[in-house]
Order: sequence, then C-alpha cells, then structure tokens
Amino acid sequence: MTKTAEFIGQTLADIFYFPQFGRGILSVWRRDFLYFRYTILTTLAWIFVEPLLYVFAFGYGLGHFVEHINGMSYIRYIAPAIMATSGMFVGFFEGTYGTFIKLARQNTFSTIILTPVGTDEVAIGEILWCTTKACLSVISVAIVLVLLGLMPTANMAPVLGVMFLTCWVFAAFGVWLASIARSFEWFTYFQSGFILPMSLFCGTYFPLSRLPHPIYVFAMFLPLTHAMQSSRMFLAGDFNAQFFINMMYLVFLGVVFTNLAAARFNRRLVV
Amino acid sequence: MKSVIEANQLVKTYGDHRAVDGITFQVGAGECFGLLGPNGAGKTTTFKMFYGSCRITAGELFVLGMNAREHMRQIKAAIGVVPQENGLDPDFSVLENLLIYASYFGMSGSAAKARAIELLAMMQLEDYSQKDIDTLSGGMKRRLVLARALLTRPKILFLDEPTTGLDPQARAWFWNELRSLQKQGTTLFLTTHYMEEAEELCSRILIMNKGRSVAEGAPRDLIKSYVGHEVVEFDIDPAKIDQYIGQIKNKFAYQVMRNRLKLFLRDNQTAADALSEVSSPNITLRKASLNDVFLKISGYELND
Ligand SMILES: Nc1ncnc2c1ncn2[C@@H]1O[C@H](COP(=O)(O)OP(=O)(O)OP(=O)(O)O)[C@@H](O)[C@H]1O
Ligand SMILES: [Mg+2]
Repeated sequence: MTKTAEFIGQTLADIFYFPQFGRGILSVWRRDFLYFRYTILTTLAWIFVEPLLYVFAFGYGLGHFVEHINGMSYIRYIAPAIMATSGMFVGFFEGTYGTFIKLARQNTFSTIILTPVGTDEVAIGEILWCTTKACLSVISVAIVLVLLGLMPTANMAPVLGVMFLTCWVFAAFGVWLASIARSFEWFTYFQSGFILPMSLFCGTYFPLSRLPHPIYVFAMFLPLTHAMQSSRMFLAGDFNAQFFINMMYLVFLGVVFTNLAAARFNRRLVV
Repeated sequence: MKSVIEANQLVKTYGDHRAVDGITFQVGAGECFGLLGPNGAGKTTTFKMFYGSCRITAGELFVLGMNAREHMRQIKAAIGVVPQENGLDPDFSVLENLLIYASYFGMSGSAAKARAIELLAMMQLEDYSQKDIDTLSGGMKRRLVLARALLTRPKILFLDEPTTGLDPQARAWFWNELRSLQKQGTTLFLTTHYMEEAEELCSRILIMNKGRSVAEGAPRDLIKSYVGHEVVEFDIDPAKIDQYIGQIKNKFAYQVMRNRLKLFLRDNQTAADALSEVSSPNITLRKASLNDVFLKISGYELND
C-alpha cells in the first residue's frame, strides 16, 4: 500500500518536472527514423491494410444495417474514428513496446547518455519519434479514406491538427508507461483495459449520447473523446468554442505525460 | 603534473549500501591511472559518476577542472567512454553504430564518415563495416566500442574493463593501441581485473575494496611495500600449518590460502633463507607481482 502511495506521490510531483530541451532530441529522433527506414515497407503495409479492414467490416458490413448517424452514412460517420484510433494505436504501441525494447533490452539509451545528450532529450526524442510514426499512420489512413471518397478534403488541415495532438498524447502516454514498466506483459493491461475500450466508447463507432450518464461523464475525461468531438466538428463544418476546450485538454495531457516520461527516464537511466 | 581528473571524498549509496565510500584521488594529464578491486568493489559505480550515469551521493568530482554536478554536458563532450557493457545498437550495422553515436556529439556528414572509416581501419574492422553487430566476436565488439569512444578524439578516455573476455592476442593488441594513444597525449583512466594489464599500462593504480581505497601508488612501489621482491609459494599439510607458521612468522611476511602458503621475501631476505625452512614437494620461487599485492589486500574470499 505504501508503495502505491509513494508511486502516486512521485507521479504527482513529476507533473511539474519541466524537461530541458536540446539539439539531442533531433539526434534521438533521427536514430529511430533511420531504423524505421528498414521496416518501412511492413509498417506502411499494415497501416494501409488496417483502415481498409475497418472500412469493410464496419462501413460496408455493419453499415449496411445502420441507416444514418447525425445525417450521414455510417461509413462516413466512422471515417474520422478510423483515423484517430489508428494514430492512437500506433503511438501507444511504438511508445510502449518500441521504447521498452530500447530501454530495457538493448540498453540503447544507456549508451546515448554517454554522449552530451541528456535523459530529457532521450525521453522527448522518443516521444517525438512515436508521435511522428503515429502521424504517418494517420496521414496514410487519411489518404485511403479520401481516395475512397469517404472523407471531405475541405477541412482536412484542422482535422489533421487534431489528430497530431492525439498522436502526441498517446505516444507520450506510451513512453511514460515504458519508463515505469518492468516487463512487456504489463502493457497488455493498458491495452485491453484502456486503449481498446477507448477505441470503442469515445464517440467513435456510435455517438457518446448513447452511453449511460455515468459512463458518459467518465468518457469526457478520455483523450480520444476530445479528438472525436473536435474532428467531427470540423468535418461537419459547424465550428464552435467547444473546440478550444478539446484542444486545451489534449495539450494538457500531452504536456503532463511528456513531463512524467522525462522525469522517469531521468531516474531510470541515472541510477 | 596538472590533474585532469579529481575525486574528493566521493560517496555513492544504494539504499543503505555504501557502494563507494569516500574515495579521493587525482589523475594527471597524460597519465594512465588504473582502478583495481574485486567484483563489487565499486569501480564501475565510481566511473559512472564521472560521466553522469550515476548520481553523486556526496563528495566532489572534477573533470578537466569542470564540476561534474554542474557541467556534465561539457564533460561528456570532452571525454570518451568504453563502458563495461558494450551497449552497441543491434538495430544497426557496424559503421552505422559509429555514425549514429557521432551524431549525438553533433558530428555529421562526410567528416563523421571519414573519421568512422579511419577508426574502423585502425581497429582492423574495415571488412565488417556493413555487418550486423550480432555477427561480431567479443573481441571485435570491444574494438568497435573503443572506436566509438575515440570518434571525437577525446583528451581523456574512461575504460571500464576494456579487455575482459579477450584472448591474449587481442589483449596485447589493445595494450598496444592504448599505449600509442597515451603517447599522443591522451589521459587513460581504466579499471581491470588483470594485474599484468595494470602493471603493463598504468603508471599509478588505486586498489579499492568494499567502496574504500585501500592502496594507491605506482605498481612497482606497491609490490615493494606490500610484498617485497620475491615470493616462495608451496603446498603444506593442513595439520602442520599452524606449527609451521609459528616457526616462520617472525622472519617472513606470509599469506595462507587453505593448504597453500606464500612467503614474501624482502630485499634483505634470500630464497635460500626461506627454503631452508620448507619441506614440500611442490615449491615455486618467483618474482613478486601485483597479483600478490591484490590478493594480500583483498584476501582470498569471494567478495560479492
Ligand atoms: N543499480 C544498482 N542498485 C543497487 N546496487 C547496485 C547498483 N549498481 C551497483 N550496485 C552495487 O554496488 C556495488 C558496486 O558495484 P560496481 O558495479 O561498482 O562494482 P565493480 O567494482 O565495478 O564490480 P565488477 O568488477 O564486478 O564490475 C555492488 O555491491 C553492487 O551490487
Ligand atoms: Mg564493474
């Protein structure tokens, strides 16, 4: 019990750990990007294939039984959800598994900190990389959706902006988890207890208003909810002030998880 | 001599455990200084505090006059490190490992590449530049790690057990390389478990035990003051050992390991003096070495 209390106390304090930025961030990012080049074909293959699976299963399959949601066809309704969940999954997986391998199995970061690059730059460089990879996934999904004529290109820029923020939040969350993890198994809890439910209940495949009130309130604290609300707003063309709350909440979570990750990286890499 | 590395009353604790317990020493510019000690003595922990992989609990550390608590980034830019664990990146080839490491120092482009290729040639790894790390032998990996540490032409090299696990040829090759670096003015600070390595390379050594400094000086001086000039070593019947020690203990310094006894001969004592007292089928007379000093100081018990 004291251990849990200690963890919570430490985590609350870590929110106010403000990391040092430096050129090292780009070097760390570049290392990950260079490795990504080797795996780019397999990665892009599933990034393109996965949204197609969703489009067919939910859109043409399930969508056949659903008339309209908010005045649009079901498949158009879920299009932004396919984008956002793709960014969420890729950011989370790269952040957790990808970073944990480097942290705990390959000692990549212990070697990096022998150089002038500091632990903050390592943490932020990793988050930046995972965000980048998630954004690439969002962009490729967007391309697929636009090509299939399922997404209007009119307000694409702000929608992508929302998506990129979402990618950052989940990348930073994943990297933070990696920094406190002891084993890979541990990530499974968050995956099935948190990430997967979020992909289903945050106003992704059906409107939030269908949820019982307590769960609705709970969903309002989940980042994906805010990503869905704001991207839908732009796609529907009815922009309102709610957008700023959505954005501020996502930025707030991004900063918090980034600070948490940097603080933990520092304590884990410098014993 | 101007000192480029300085530790004052350095302490590191892990919980209640004092891994480094008040160490003080200096290393002069251009010197080769060795940190010796049994497993768990605190050598790596001491090293890590110099390059910021380990927090300083108490005491002061300076590298090139820079305080390690305040100027870690500048210190790391100025030194080269061969850590105990190679930490090579298995995701990349040999050459890429060097180029990526160089990028962390802000070296890039053709200058970095030229330097990496030069070092691969120096380390006799030019044929392996495109190979995966996993395909290298232990000796090649160690050479690659040395090349990595030399990318920026550092003035000071930290080498944590540079030759552990290497065969005798590879070790001799390493010694040669380190000596020529020293000739070019590089300060070497190394740890080792090989006494002949310390004797061969180091102008001064510090022996640690349980986090404390137990002896410091030039290898030759330490041998002379701790053991003398020669050693007689022989087996003895365990039943008779106490009686025998009673006979010789006023004449000779000695050390017992189970049924094996070592007598240490001072300058004014000859082998004949010692051997007249001994009857054993298995007697060795040899020059005293740093190994004798080490074992005398840290004993025969396992330490960790
Ligand atoms: N991260 C850590 N947490 C707790 N204790 C540690 C940690 N790292 C080292 N120690 C302890 O500190 C002591 C010194 O370890 P260190 O690695 O410095 O020894 P060493 O002299 O380098 O040994 P070796 O010759 O085996 O490399 C040991 O008792 C070790 O168990
Ligand atoms: Mg060690």
